[in-house]
Amino acid sequence: MASAQITDNPLLFAERPEWQDVVPLEQYEGVRPLAPIFYTPEYKDATDYFRGIVKSGEKSPRVLDLTENIIRQNPAHYSAWQYRYKTLMALNAPLDEELRLMDELAVKYLKTYQVWHHRRLLVQQTCKPAPELEFIASCLQVDAKNYHTWSYRQWLLAHFNDAALWANELEFVDRMLDADVRNNSAWHHRFFVVFQSGVRQGEEDRNDVVRRELTYVKVKISFAPNNASAWNYLRGVLDISKTPYSAFTSFVTPYCEAEPPQLDDTSTDIMDLDDPLPSQDAQLPCTAAIEFMADIHERLGGDSLRVAIDHWSSLANTHDTSRKKYWEYRIREALSNVH
Amino acid sequence: MADSHRTDELLIPLHVRYIQNLGKSTDELAYHMTAHLRMNAIYWGLTALCIMGHQDALDREETIDFVMSCWDEEAGGFGAHPDHDAHILSTLSAIQILVTQDALDRLDVDRVVKCKLILSLQQPSGVFAGDSFGETDTRFLYCAVNALSLLGRLSELDVERTVSYIRQCRNYDGGFGATAGAESHAAQVFVCVAALAILDSLDEVDHQTLCWWLSERQLPNGGLNGRPEKLEDVCYSFWVLSALSILNKITWIDADKLVSFILSAQDPELGGIADRPGDMADVFHTVFGVAGLSLLGYPGLVDLDPVYCMPASIIEARGLRKGWKSLPRRAE
Repeated sequence: MASAQITDNPLLFAERPEWQDVVPLEQYEGVRPLAPIFYTPEYKDATDYFRGIVKSGEKSPRVLDLTENIIRQNPAHYSAWQYRYKTLMALNAPLDEELRLMDELAVKYLKTYQVWHHRRLLVQQTCKPAPELEFIASCLQVDAKNYHTWSYRQWLLAHFNDAALWANELEFVDRMLDADVRNNSAWHHRFFVVFQSGVRQGEEDRNDVVRRELTYVKVKISFAPNNASAWNYLRGVLDISKTPYSAFTSFVTPYCEAEPPQLDDTSTDIMDLDDPLPSQDAQLPCTAAIEFMADIHERLGGDSLRVAIDHWSSLANTHDTSRKKYWEYRIREALSNVH
Repeated sequence: MADSHRTDELLIPLHVRYIQNLGKSTDELAYHMTAHLRMNAIYWGLTALCIMGHQDALDREETIDFVMSCWDEEAGGFGAHPDHDAHILSTLSAIQILVTQDALDRLDVDRVVKCKLILSLQQPSGVFAGDSFGETDTRFLYCAVNALSLLGRLSELDVERTVSYIRQCRNYDGGFGATAGAESHAAQVFVCVAALAILDSLDEVDHQTLCWWLSERQLPNGGLNGRPEKLEDVCYSFWVLSALSILNKITWIDADKLVSFILSAQDPELGGIADRPGDMADVFHTVFGVAGLSLLGYPGLVDLDPVYCMPASIIEARGLRKGWKSLPRRAE
């Protein structure tokens, strides 16, 4: 089925003989508009014929041409999407072809909800999720943090919940984080894959999984310490595994210093995976590390609270003055809990 | 030739004219593409005018007539434009416009409530779809809760199921996403927190963690972003600020820096506010920019209710005010 590009057929629908039997309906019949819209002739023509088709309830192949024409002019015209889907169903149209068309439109209109929702509906019909993973990956090449794209991937994995679909997902997240360690969507997806989508074969030893994830995030932090997503992920893993924050004191300490540690001549290039150090060109001290160190001490309680308060003061007055009032709140809360 | 104004103050008369002129745009391409947003756009424009103290700048009867011309009799709701299918987004905007214009009597409230649109859009999990097409998103949940609340029919809602769905949307960083499992995003945080406020269920929020996450949206240039490592955008001045305001932590961001950022995004020649300095203005960023300024206590503006994003006095008069706190209004 050839897709009807606007440029393929420059004639308005009103000029096409095969559309003569349809009665186009004007937008403003009997209505005094608050703000009359000046449409392009092409858009007015297509939507006039769309209104005519909707009124008659026609669900034929030419309706697919018409709705595609409208969607290409205005991808957010949700009525056109809805009617297109109903027409596809009524015609028992080949959905694989429709998906190929959607491949093209998704990239053009990445930030439109309808494009993704329509795709979801189609895949629920075809029940062929595997090729979608590759397609989603290619969309993310264009816009690595697109909210709809990641949401769609998550939906796909959870809805079909097929071991084969999940099999390479962690590797996929790794690749995304290798490309951009600050991609918050990728970190969020990692948490979803590892901790919020059931236990898959090979991951039954949860302690092992937690150890693996903690090592992973430490390495990523050492590579780029000023990365909020990584520190949020660390907290998420510690919280879900109920690991005490204090287990991380030796790791966090060098990140709170003003300079990276001076390595002596006997140091090797092998990274200490237990406590990977900040890279030599890291911007230190790392604000998130100071925040974390404060949390460690707050949780220890007793005399450690004073250390926490010192850290919060340094944040309020020097390292993170935008959020001064927040840090002062933490100090007040801690002082009121001292007894 | 328009004068070029300074952008260290809010250029109210310029923005009022900008909104009034929206209906007369000759920029056809951009304009026809936004028919599906027309109802929302009128709500945004009207609300911005209210905040700036110029509600009368749009003709009251014309706005009411437009709203009623979008009534979809079959669905029992409002579309974005005459002859568009009803959708929950445009239905909320329509109700908000009618309430603001004190014209709710034009509406058959029973029809709207009992109709297929609002309540029937709730799925078994508690999430709401936007229309019969089925796209689900916590934005629609907020629209349903807000609309029912304004109509005085919140009792028709299955509150437990609704709150339970929001709970499922809570993430490990304290934030909320569009659907269960989705990434935390400031706009979704707003809709979830505001819905919880209306439903008197703010105990579902981890206040400290979420408010910290919200305060972390402020970048060195004073603007706010929607999630870590993304760009600042004026509309987050509302999404983030309103959530902080509802949770009584609006002091946790640097107000002066944010005010400067919003003001610098004004178009000093044509009026309106853009997503960030130098970009083209639009009515969406205009309303959320002035809404943010109102919550920050900017002098000369009208108080805004952050839960409903409508004038505070109107919400208070309906007995719907919740325990939110904005910054005190500074003297001019």
